[in-house]
Amino acid sequence: MEVQKEAQRIMTLSVWKMYHSRMQRGGLRLHRSLQLSLVMRSARELYLSAKVEALEPEVSLPPACPSDLRLHPPREVESTVETATADGEQPSPEPMDTQEAPTAEEIPAYSAPRPAKVSRKRRSSSLRDGGDAGLVPSKKARLEEKEEEEGLSSEVADRLQPPPAQAEGAFPNLARVLQRRFSGLLNCSPAAPPTAPPACEAKPACRPADSMLNVLVRTVVAF
Amino acid sequence: MRAGGGNDIQWCFSQVKGAVDDDVAEADIISTVEFNHSGELLATGDKGGRVVIFQQEQENKIQSHSRGEYNVYSTFQSHEPEFDYLKSLEIEEKINKIRWLPQKNAAQFLLSTNDKTIKLWKISERDKRPEGYNLKEEDGRYRDPTTVTTLRVPVFRPMDLMVEASPRRIFANAHTYHINSISINSDYETYLSADDLRINLWHLEITDRSFNIVDIKPANMEELTEVITAAEFHPNSCNTFVYSSSKGTIRLCDMRASALCDRHSKLFEEPEDPSNRSFFSEIISSISDVKFSHSGRYMMTRDYLSVKIWDLNMENRPVETYQVHEYLRSKLCSLYENDCIFDKFECCWNGSDSVVMTGSYNNFFRMFDRNTKRDITLEASRENNKPRTVLKPRKVCASGKRKKDEISVDSLDFNKKILHTAWHPKENIIAVATTNNLYIFQDKVN
Repeated sequence: MEVQKEAQRIMTLSVWKMYHSRMQRGGLRLHRSLQLSLVMRSARELYLSAKVEALEPEVSLPPACPSDLRLHPPREVESTVETATADGEQPSPEPMDTQEAPTAEEIPAYSAPRPAKVSRKRRSSSLRDGGDAGLVPSKKARLEEKEEEEGLSSEVADRLQPPPAQAEGAFPNLARVLQRRFSGLLNCSPAAPPTAPPACEAKPACRPADSMLNVLVRTVVAF
Repeated sequence: MRAGGGNDIQWCFSQVKGAVDDDVAEADIISTVEFNHSGELLATGDKGGRVVIFQQEQENKIQSHSRGEYNVYSTFQSHEPEFDYLKSLEIEEKINKIRWLPQKNAAQFLLSTNDKTIKLWKISERDKRPEGYNLKEEDGRYRDPTTVTTLRVPVFRPMDLMVEASPRRIFANAHTYHINSISINSDYETYLSADDLRINLWHLEITDRSFNIVDIKPANMEELTEVITAAEFHPNSCNTFVYSSSKGTIRLCDMRASALCDRHSKLFEEPEDPSNRSFFSEIISSISDVKFSHSGRYMMTRDYLSVKIWDLNMENRPVETYQVHEYLRSKLCSLYENDCIFDKFECCWNGSDSVVMTGSYNNFFRMFDRNTKRDITLEASRENNKPRTVLKPRKVCASGKRKKDEISVDSLDFNKKILHTAWHPKENIIAVATTNNLYIFQDKVN
C-alpha cells in the first residue's frame, strides 16, 4: 500500500512538473519531458504491479522506502513528444480542428470510454467563468493547484479500484480527477461536475494563450 | 608544464568575480566557463546573454610568488531574447556554450551559442588611433577644403586600450530543438552544433548552409526513447566526433564513412549494475557532458553520480569510474522533487590528462587523480577568500557518526551547485563557477 501511495505521489508530481515545464521560458525541453515521462511510466508500472501484488496476499510486498522501489522493465516511451511535437517542426492542429479523442494507437494506455465531442464554444464558456485565470496562471491559482495536487492522492486512491484486468484504468482516472479538480478551480466551485472536456481529448498547439486546463489536459494526454 | 597530480597540489584561493550579495539576479547566473587555448583568456557566459572575458596579467617578475591575476578584458551582449512567432515560443538568451578558436592573428575569436543561434565573435584590441587628417579636425568635423594649405601624412598615436567585440558570423535557423553543444574541429575550419535530436556541421565562413550529420529523430515521435545530450570533435582526428545520449551511451562517428553518420563506428556502453537498479536509475544514467582528453586517447563522461573515463579502444566498459557523490543515491526521490536530479554537471581534464574535475552541491567540487587514485573535495566559498589561503579538503559524512569538520548529507545546500568548471590548458589554474560567482584557484607556488 505504501508503495502504491508513493507511486501515486510520484505520478502526480511528474504531471505537475510536466505542466510546469511548459510554462518555462524557452519552451518545452525535450530532454526534460523525456525524463519526466520515464519517471511517470516507472511510477505507473510500479503502482500497477503493487496493486497486483496487493491482491496476492501471500506474496510479500517490496519495502516502502522509495529509494528501494524496483523498476519494472520500462516500455517504450510514448509520446512524450506529443507535446514536443507542438514545438517541433510541424505545428499541431488548432484546437477547433481536433475535437476527436486521440486514436487507440496513439494512446494505447487509455482504455476508459470517452464522451462524445465537446464543442469549442462550451469549453471557452466554461473558462470564461474563471475569468482570465486560465490564460495567465496567477500565483494564487498555483497555490490552489498545489493544494489540489496534494489532496489528490487520497481522492485518487478512493477512485482507483479496478480489478487487475483493467490495469490500464488507473491513468485515465487520474487524469479525469485532475481535470475535474481544475475545472472546479476555474469555475470557482469545489467539486464541479465534469462539464469540461475529458482528459483524453485534443492536443492544441502550444500557445501561451492556452488555458491552464487545456495545457494540463494536454500534458496528461501525452502520457 | 608544471607537474600534475591532484594530491601533490595545494590549491589556494586566488580571486572571486561577481556580486557579493546573496540575492542572485537571474541574469547573472553563470552558464558556461571556458579558457582559451593559451589560457591567457577566460570567458564566461551567463543567463542574461552576456559574455565576460577575463585576461591574465603578464607575470610580474618581482612578485613571482603568484601568477598573474585575471581582470575583465571585455564584456558584451552576445545574445538577446527572441520570440519565435510561428511557434509562440520565447527563445532564451542564456549562453549555453562558448568555444574559443585558436589564435591566428592579433584578434581573438570565439563561438557562443544560445538555444537556437550560434555567433562568431571577434574580439580585437585598439591601442592606437590615426591623427593628423587633412580634411578632418581631431574631433571629426570636416574642414573647409579651401582652408587647407599644406598636406601632411596622418600618423598613429597611442591611445587608451579599447577592446571591441563584434559579431562576424551568425549561424541561425538550423536547429529545431535546443542546442546543447558546439565543438570546433581540429581543422579549424568547421565546427559542429548539436541539439536534442540532430547534429549539424558548419563551415566557419558560411552561414546560410549547414550539413546535417546526425539525425536521431524517429519517424514517429511517440517512439522517441533517447536524445543527444552532448557532442564533441576529436582533438586530433578531424573526421571523428562523439555524441552522448540520455540513455548513458556514447557513439563515436567517422564522417568518412558516410554523409549521414546515423550509424556509429563505435558504441560505448556499460551494462547497468543490477544491484544499483532503482526507480530513477534511468534518468541518472543520462550523460550530461562528454570531453576528450587532450591526447585524444580517452574521453570522459559525466552522469548524475559519477565520472567515467573511456578508452576509445574499448567499448564495453569504462577504464575508470569515479563516484562524485554516491551518498546521493539514497536521496534520489528528494532530488527528483526539488528538480536537482536534472542538473547537468560538466567535467574537465587538466593539461596533462592526469587529473579530472567536476562539480557537486554545497559549492563543492571534486578532483580525481588518475595516477594516484586519490580524490579531493574542495569548496568554493567567500569564507576562504584571502589570497594564497590554502583550501581545506572537505568531507561529506554519508551516514553514521559525523566526525568533526565533516558535513552531513542532510545539511548540504542543494541550491549551491557547481555545474561549470574549467582548467587552464597549461597551468594549475582552475575556474569554478558557483551560481553567480566565478572563483579562480591556483596551486601554491613556493
